[in-house]
Amino acid sequence: MKNYRIPSKQMKFGELFRLLNFCRTIQTEGTDPFDLDVKKFLETLKRYHKTKKWKSLDDLLLDAEAIAELAKIIELQGKWIKERSSSFYIDPVLLELKLKMLEPQQLATAFFNSWHPIIAMDRITPQRLQEGLAYWNALLPFGERNDEFPFPSAIESAFGVEDLIELNILSKTEFDDSIKAVFNDLEARGRIEYHDFIYGDAFETSVKKAYLTSYLVNEGKAELDINPLEEEVFISPSNNANVNAKADHAQGRSIPVSLSYEDWLRWKGKQKRN
Amino acid sequence: MEGETEEELRTRTERKVKKAAQLLFFRQHRIPGVKGWELKKALGDDYVEVIGVLNSALDKLGMEVKRISEEGGGEGKEKRAERDRFMIVLKSPVIEKASGERIDNVAMLSATLAYIISKQGKASRKAVEDFLSAKFPKQRIYFALDRYIKQGYVGEADKVLYIGWRARAEVDRKALLDLILGA
Repeated sequence: MKNYRIPSKQMKFGELFRLLNFCRTIQTEGTDPFDLDVKKFLETLKRYHKTKKWKSLDDLLLDAEAIAELAKIIELQGKWIKERSSSFYIDPVLLELKLKMLEPQQLATAFFNSWHPIIAMDRITPQRLQEGLAYWNALLPFGERNDEFPFPSAIESAFGVEDLIELNILSKTEFDDSIKAVFNDLEARGRIEYHDFIYGDAFETSVKKAYLTSYLVNEGKAELDINPLEEEVFISPSNNANVNAKADHAQGRSIPVSLSYEDWLRWKGKQKRN
Repeated sequence: MEGETEEELRTRTERKVKKAAQLLFFRQHRIPGVKGWELKKALGDDYVEVIGVLNSALDKLGMEVKRISEEGGGEGKEKRAERDRFMIVLKSPVIEKASGERIDNVAMLSATLAYIISKQGKASRKAVEDFLSAKFPKQRIYFALDRYIKQGYVGEADKVLYIGWRARAEVDRKALLDLILGA
């Protein structure tokens, strides 16, 4: 809001400022523009005109601003009516409810019955092939085009366990004991859904366990079995756990498994129900 | 054209209609369809009439030329037509299956479009994700939404999702809502 220079007057304009603020709230938050009583707004403005006899530049600026804001609200009211009278308008709450009630099969059927797919074909013409060949001929050998494919700059790695041990933040035996405890737990429980294994009574300990488990997987002492279609991840103790399996995993891949507080809460709720 | 016989006029129109069909059927850009100005350049000033003739030929095959207007622009009718995109679509959804999509992906797309339409064409990505998460795992939703955006069914700007160019061309939005509400 603009600052007007006469503080004493600001107090008197309280109602007008309140109305101006309300106009802005409607515009920014998209609330019902009919919440503003346009007639009352104009009457208020008229009352100020009569009683205050606006003369100064600030008064006139405030008057102009009030009219401009009011015009915007009236424009919004017009749009609001247009939207509601259009054939597209359906109460969002009703539609949301309906969407939640429908089975995926029914939703898919509705889509297919309102779907008019675009018909477009791709065809390589002799001319286009010739253009491709000309491009190939003009292209420099890969070795001479290194600048086009620069290697990613080396990322400074975060602190590893070794660094933490070196800084005396963590003791090697403490860390090894924690890993061993997680491994013993996994061996005792056998093949199990990853989240069921990781999650426990507290979210903090669950995150810690996930961290330690990542070491087990990295060292080849545990195996992850992912079913991408069902979104399931199983963990089991590795059969080669006693062999130095780390060597086999030297060129392993990274497997991101998400953990979140909300997910943990859902898991806990499910456990309670069971 | 002046001095042109009826036979010559017919031949010229046929030639133009063939050219228009080739332009519209075969993809020339990443997004299917041809802009009005491209048609004008290839077919001449009477390109809208040529498209009309092509449309009546396609009608017999259950297809039609659809004109998708770009957002905004207050210029004249002619200028607007030049900015519009023309593409061929199936006229009525008669075929049983025209997509290899998994049924749950189509269901998610259907729900996403209906949700966005009900919110006057715009909804925050988070709101859509939260809505879909009632029935699908979050990871699948992130993946599916990114795919719909890539396919052009949904558009995204500043974490706000809107109806994409492809949905505007392919989906009869009113029919979709009616079918959902009537299901």
